Amino acid sequence: MTEQHEDPKFEQWLRDAAKAYHSPLPTPREEMWKRIEEARRHKHVIELRPWMRWAIAAAAVLVLGIGIGRWTATPSSGPNGTTLATNDSAGRHVTREIDSLAGVAYQVAATQYLSRTEAFLTSFRADANRSANTARLARQARELLSSTQLMLDSPAANDPRLRSLLEDLELVLMQIAMLNPLQDGRDRDLITEGMSQSNVLPKLRSAIPAGPVSARTQGAL
Amino acid sequence: MDESQLIARVRSGDRAAERALYDAHVDRVYRLAFRLAGDDALAQDFTQETFIRAFDRLGSFRGDAAFSTWLHTITTTVVLNGLRKVKRFRQRETDIDDAHEIGTVHRQAEPDLKLRLKQAIDALPEGYRTVFLMHDVEGYTHEEIGTALGVETGTSKAQLSRARAKLRVALADFAGEWAQ
Repeated sequence: MTEQHEDPKFEQWLRDAAKAYHSPLPTPREEMWKRIEEARRHKHVIELRPWMRWAIAAAAVLVLGIGIGRWTATPSSGPNGTTLATNDSAGRHVTREIDSLAGVAYQVAATQYLSRTEAFLTSFRADANRSANTARLARQARELLSSTQLMLDSPAANDPRLRSLLEDLELVLMQIAMLNPLQDGRDRDLITEGMSQSNVLPKLRSAIPAGPVSARTQGAL
Repeated sequence: MDESQLIARVRSGDRAAERALYDAHVDRVYRLAFRLAGDDALAQDFTQETFIRAFDRLGSFRGDAAFSTWLHTITTTVVLNGLRKVKRFRQRETDIDDAHEIGTVHRQAEPDLKLRLKQAIDALPEGYRTVFLMHDVEGYTHEEIGTALGVETGTSKAQLSRARAKLRVALADFAGEWAQ
């Protein structure tokens, strides 16, 4: 279809002029390859596992409440009219249901925590114009740092690879939390340099299931 | 060795073949990621993520289309999703920021053509901008773009045409530049 506003002269000029838009740098192929290899080594090893439940206490309380509430609301009774709450097998069934619900909730919460951290660090590193407010960045880093430290104190940290990732995250978040507004630019450069050296973002991404957060948790609840 | 043989070797776990496949395609992937992201760190992240996903999912590549087409489908998905995520995060920051500060940044008049062009391209809707950069700047065909973005070829052509029209309006002050 020929559009009314086609103008070969303009189009040629536009193509030439637009070459300067986001003009790429030489491809850093060796650096990227190194990170790809490292990230692939970690892939499939760091997984969100049921023991992460201990790290997300708030979600656990919520789900346990829902689980118990659902069970007690079910009008099930034994042959003599006694409720199943006093029966051992029913008790085990409830425990299994609660465990299952809790496991799902912990996975959702942990995925969201890792996704938030990834979004925060990606944005921090990409923020070349330093427009973000230092105080706010520090506050956000402190919030994420609390979650990271909670996970480090949990059985989740028994996995050496996840522990290594959490320790890297803790260090980076701690540095951001302590950013000095007076030496902001230099400090940020040092932090982003440290992030690249420790390969923290590729490792973090490897620990997050592919797809947007909503898709990752879709169908889980 | 042709590409299908190379892919077969990658599937069988040959690390040297992985590297060869990466070398053959990394420039174009990185260029596209950089054009769309406008930032080296993000472009590197997106390129890495593209290859990690491609190697992980190579088993699902059936060879119906060229490998490069399949790879660029992954690239555009990774880049556009990544940019949306960064944009959402920055938007949350902006919402909290002092409104006066934001207004000042956006109201600045910029007489320089290069910057005006950048602003005009940045202001295009995501679909128009992606098609414009892929076609007019990076030289992808409408067929490649359609496959990568999951749209009809006609849609790609229409979006390009609308992108150019919007840019022409936005750059009307510089009409003398192309009328010569």
